[in-house]
Amino acid sequence: MSDNTHDHHDVIAEIKKVTIILSVLTIVELILGFWMIDITSEGLRLGIKGVIVILMMAKAFYIVAYFMHLKHELKNLIMTIIVPLALFIWFIIAFISDGNSFKNLRNNYDRRFKEQSTIQVKQEEHGAKHEAAGSAHGEKATETKKEEHAAGEHH
Amino acid sequence: MSHEAALHAHESHGHDDHGHHEHHDTFLTKYVFSQDHKMIAKQFLITGMVWAVLGGLMSVLFRLQLGYPEASFPWLESILGKWAKGGQITPEAYYALVTTHGTVLVFFVLTAGLSGTFANFLIPLQIGARDMASPFMNMLSYWFFFTASIVMLSSMFVETGPFSGGWTAYPPLSALHDASPGSKTGMDLWIIAMALFVVSSLLGGLNYIATILNMRTKGMSMTRLPLTIWALFFTAVLGVLSFPVLLSGLILLIFDRNFGTSFYLSDIFVNGVGALSNEGGSAILFQHLFWFLGHPEVYIILLPAMGMVSEIMSVNSRKPIFGYMAMLGSLFAIAVLAFLVWAHHMFVTGLNPFLGSVFVLLTLLIAVPSAIKVFNWLTTLWRGNIRFTPGMLFAIGFVSLFISGGLTGIWLGNAALDIHLHDTYFVIAHFHIVMGVASMFGMFAGVYHWFPKMYGRHLNNSLGYIHFWVTMAGAYLIFWPMHYQGLAGMPRRYFDFSIWESFKQFADLNRFISTVAMIVFATQILFLINFFYSIFKGRKVTDPNPWKSNTLEWTTPINPGHGNWPGEIPEVHRWPYDYGKDGVDFIPQDVPVGEHESSH
Amino acid sequence: MGLHICIPILGRLTPKKVGYFYSNILDSQYFCTEIETEMSNVTTASTKEAKWWNGGKSPFDVEYGKVMMWYFLMSDAFTFGAFLISYGTVRFSTNGWPDPNKVFKSFPFAPEGVNAPLVFVSIMTFILIVSSVTMVLAVHAGKMMDKKGVVRNMIWTIIGGIAFLSCQAWEWNHLHHEGAWWGLNPFINADGTASTTNFTNFFFTITGFHGFHVFSGVVINIIMLIMTLMDKFEQRGRYLMIEKAGLYWHFVDLVWVFVFTCFYLL
Repeated sequence: MSDNTHDHHDVIAEIKKVTIILSVLTIVELILGFWMIDITSEGLRLGIKGVIVILMMAKAFYIVAYFMHLKHELKNLIMTIIVPLALFIWFIIAFISDGNSFKNLRNNYDRRFKEQSTIQVKQEEHGAKHEAAGSAHGEKATETKKEEHAAGEHH
Repeated sequence: MSHEAALHAHESHGHDDHGHHEHHDTFLTKYVFSQDHKMIAKQFLITGMVWAVLGGLMSVLFRLQLGYPEASFPWLESILGKWAKGGQITPEAYYALVTTHGTVLVFFVLTAGLSGTFANFLIPLQIGARDMASPFMNMLSYWFFFTASIVMLSSMFVETGPFSGGWTAYPPLSALHDASPGSKTGMDLWIIAMALFVVSSLLGGLNYIATILNMRTKGMSMTRLPLTIWALFFTAVLGVLSFPVLLSGLILLIFDRNFGTSFYLSDIFVNGVGALSNEGGSAILFQHLFWFLGHPEVYIILLPAMGMVSEIMSVNSRKPIFGYMAMLGSLFAIAVLAFLVWAHHMFVTGLNPFLGSVFVLLTLLIAVPSAIKVFNWLTTLWRGNIRFTPGMLFAIGFVSLFISGGLTGIWLGNAALDIHLHDTYFVIAHFHIVMGVASMFGMFAGVYHWFPKMYGRHLNNSLGYIHFWVTMAGAYLIFWPMHYQGLAGMPRRYFDFSIWESFKQFADLNRFISTVAMIVFATQILFLINFFYSIFKGRKVTDPNPWKSNTLEWTTPINPGHGNWPGEIPEVHRWPYDYGKDGVDFIPQDVPVGEHESSH
Repeated sequence: MGLHICIPILGRLTPKKVGYFYSNILDSQYFCTEIETEMSNVTTASTKEAKWWNGGKSPFDVEYGKVMMWYFLMSDAFTFGAFLISYGTVRFSTNGWPDPNKVFKSFPFAPEGVNAPLVFVSIMTFILIVSSVTMVLAVHAGKMMDKKGVVRNMIWTIIGGIAFLSCQAWEWNHLHHEGAWWGLNPFINADGTASTTNFTNFFFTITGFHGFHVFSGVVINIIMLIMTLMDKFEQRGRYLMIEKAGLYWHFVDLVWVFVFTCFYLL
C-alpha cells in the first residue's frame, strides 16, 4: 500500500480536494435538474440527461478511485476490478434496446396499449388516496386501474 | 510494507501449524462442521450424488410416461400416491418432475456438486495452500447449499407439489399463484432454495478467487497453474458476476407474486380469469435476467469439466498438454463470451431481430475457442503413451460428447434455424449432450482420477470400465434419436405424444429411449456401489503418486490431514506438464530445474 | 515475467511476448520451455514487478479479505446493476413515465402544497457524501494508528448513516400517505396519461434494497466502532477491518449516486 509514501497531510489534502469535487459535481447535477424542470424541448432534455449521466460517471470515478482507494492500489488489482465491469456495457445496451423494441412492437401491434398511452387522466386528489392506501395492495391496484379506465372512457 | 502485508496474509491464516500436530477433532468438527477443504469437498460431492440419484430417478419416472403413455403401473401409485392415480403419472406430476429434474441437475448437481467438489478439493492442493483463504466461509458455503437442498427437497412434499413451470421459471407460470398447482407453495420454496443457493455459490466463489490469487505457494506463477485451476478460477468469476443477476430477478419475482407489482406481468388474458389487472410489465425482462445468469451457468457447469479433462488427458497420455497458452486463452475467451450471448435462448420471444442477429454473431464466436480446445485435446492424445484408466476414458468421452453436442450448438445458435428448432427435442438433445452428460463425464473423470487422493483407496477398475462403456453408449443411444424427433417437430415438455397422429411414428423410438435411460440409470447405481464400497473396502493406495502426475496434490501424504503438507509447503519450479521431457517420464512441479536440463 | 502474456486482463503484454505467443501458439512445449528459461533468468535478476504473480504472495499486495471484499462488491454491483437496468428496460418499453419533479417535491415540516423538487433528495445525497468523507478519514486515522481519530470519525459516519435512513423513512412514509406503494401509483405520467404502477414498484424496490444496504452498513460500522473501543485493532496492530468496512460503506454511497441520478434526475 503505497500510502506510506504519501504523508499524512497529502492524504488529508486529497480527501478535501475530492470532497470539494464531489460536492461541485452534485451541485452542477442539481442545477441541471432544476433547469430541466421548465424545459419542454425533447432534444435539449435528452442532452441535459446525457450531461447528467456523464457527471454521474465522474462522481463514481472519484468515489472509487479516491475514497475506495483504488487509484493507489497496484495496477493488477485495478485491472481485475475494472475489466469485468466492462461487461456492463453490453448488459445495458442489449437490455435497454430490447426494452425499446418491445415498446415499438406493442405500439405497432397492440392497439389497446397504444390507446392507453394517449388517454389523458387527471391527477387524483391526495385525500382520496389517503384513506384507501391502507387496504390490500392487490385489490387497490385493481381499483385504481378501474378508476383510470373509467376516467379514460369519460373523455 | 508490501512484503509484510503478504506475509501477514499468510500468517493471519494460522494454518501453517496445522500439519505439525495431531488434531483432536470431535466427530462433529471432523465430519459435519468441518473447515477442512477436503472434507467440505466430500460433503459437496456426496450431497451432489444424492441429488443426482434423485434427479436421475425423476427422469426415469417421466421417461416411463413418455415411453409407455398408455400403460399403467400400479407400483407407481404406491410410491407417488395421488401424483400417480391409477398407476399413471398425472400431467401435474409430470411437469413437476421435469422441472425439478432440470433445476436439481443444473444447479445442485452440476454446479454445486461439480465445481463445489473439485474447486474445494483441488484448489488448495494444486496451488500449494494449507486451506482456502477463509475456511469458515467455505464451511458456510456448504451449509447454505445444504439448506437450499433441504428447502428444495421439502417443496416436493407440500400439498400442491413442487414448482412445475420448467426450470427456467418463466413468468407468468411462476408469477401467478393460480397458474398451476406448483406455482403456489412449491414456487415459493423454489425461490427460497435458489436464493440460498446463490448465497452459497457467492461465498464459495469469492473464496476460490481469493485463494487462487493470494494463496499460491512460492514459484506457483499464474502460468504454472494446472489448467484445472484456471478453469475453476474462471468458473468462480462467472458465478460471482452472474448469480447476483438471478437474485435480482428472483427478488422482483417475489414482489410480483406477493406484493401486487407488475414487473413481469401485463394485461395478458388468462383463461377463466380474464385480463389481469397488471399493466406495463414485461415477461421478456425476466427471461433476459434469467438468461444473463443462465448462459454463464452453462459455462459454470462446463469449464470445471474442461479443466479436469485437460489435466487428466495430459497425465494419462504422458505428454504435455498441447497449447497451454491457447487452452488458457480459449478459457478466457469462453468466459467473456459467456456473458455476451444470453439472448440466443430468446430468439422466439419477440426479441428485436437486429439485436437477435448480434446475438447470433456473438454466439457463433464461441465455436472458435471451443474448437481450439477440442483440437488441443486431440493433439494432446496424438502419439501419446495413453493409459486407458477409467478416468481417462471418461475424459475422452467428454471430448466426444462435447464435439457432438457442440456442433448442434452451431445450428441452434442461428436464429433462422432456431426458430424452427426452438423448444423441440433437438434442443433437449443438444444441451443434454453438451452440458449435461458431458459435464457429468467430466465429473466422473474427476472422481475416478482423484478418488485415491480423496479416500486413500482405489476404485474398482472393472466396474469403472463397465460404468464407462454403458454410460457412453447409453448417452448416445438416448440423445442421438432425439435430434431426429426434434427435427420432425416434436416439442419438448409435452406430457403425452400418443394423441397426435404425426408423432405416433415415434412411439417405438420413445420406448427405446426410455428403456436405455433405465439401463443407464441402473449403471449409475453400479458406480455408487463402487464408490461407497471403495471408500471403506477399496484397494489401499500404496504409492503417494499413483498416476505419476506432476501436480502438487500428489506430493502430500496418501491421507493428508488438515493443512495438507506435514512439513513445509513445497516450492514450485516448473509448469505442471513436464511429461516425457529429456526422456524422463515425468518431473513433478516441485523438482528444481536441473542445470543441464534441456529447454526443449 | 512470462506469465503476463497469457492473461491480458491481469498482466501486461509486451510486443516481444505477443510475438512469442503467435509464433509458438501451435507448439506449446517449445513455447513454455521458452518461458521457463526466461523465468529462471528472472529469478536471478529479479525485477520487482515481475514477481507479483510468482506465488508466495498476493499479486495485488492486498490481504485476502480485501480481495474478497472487492469481488463481493463487484458481485453486488451486478445485483444493483440488474435492478437499475431492469428499471431502464421497463421504462424504455413504456410509453409515458411520471415526472420525478412532480412526485418528489415535498419537504419535511413544510406546508402540504409546497413545491420543492430535488431539495430533500439533495440533502440526502449530501448526508451520504459527508458520511463517506468521514469514513475515509476514519480509514486514514486507522492507518495512522490513531484510535481517537477512528472513533470520532466512525461515530460521525454512523450518525450520517442513521440520518440518511431517517430521511428515507420520512420520504417513504410521505409517499405512502400520498397513496404510493408497491402496486399502487397515484401519480400520472408527465404527458398527462395514466401511468403504470412500475414507477413506484421500481422506486420502492430499488431504494428499499439500497436502504437495506445502508442499514447493514450502519450495523457493520457500529460493530467496527465497538471493536475499536475494545482495542481489538490496537492489539492486532492494524485497522484492516475498518478498511474493509470502509470499502462497503463507499460502495453504498456509490450505488446511491446511480440510484439518485436514475430516479430523481433522469
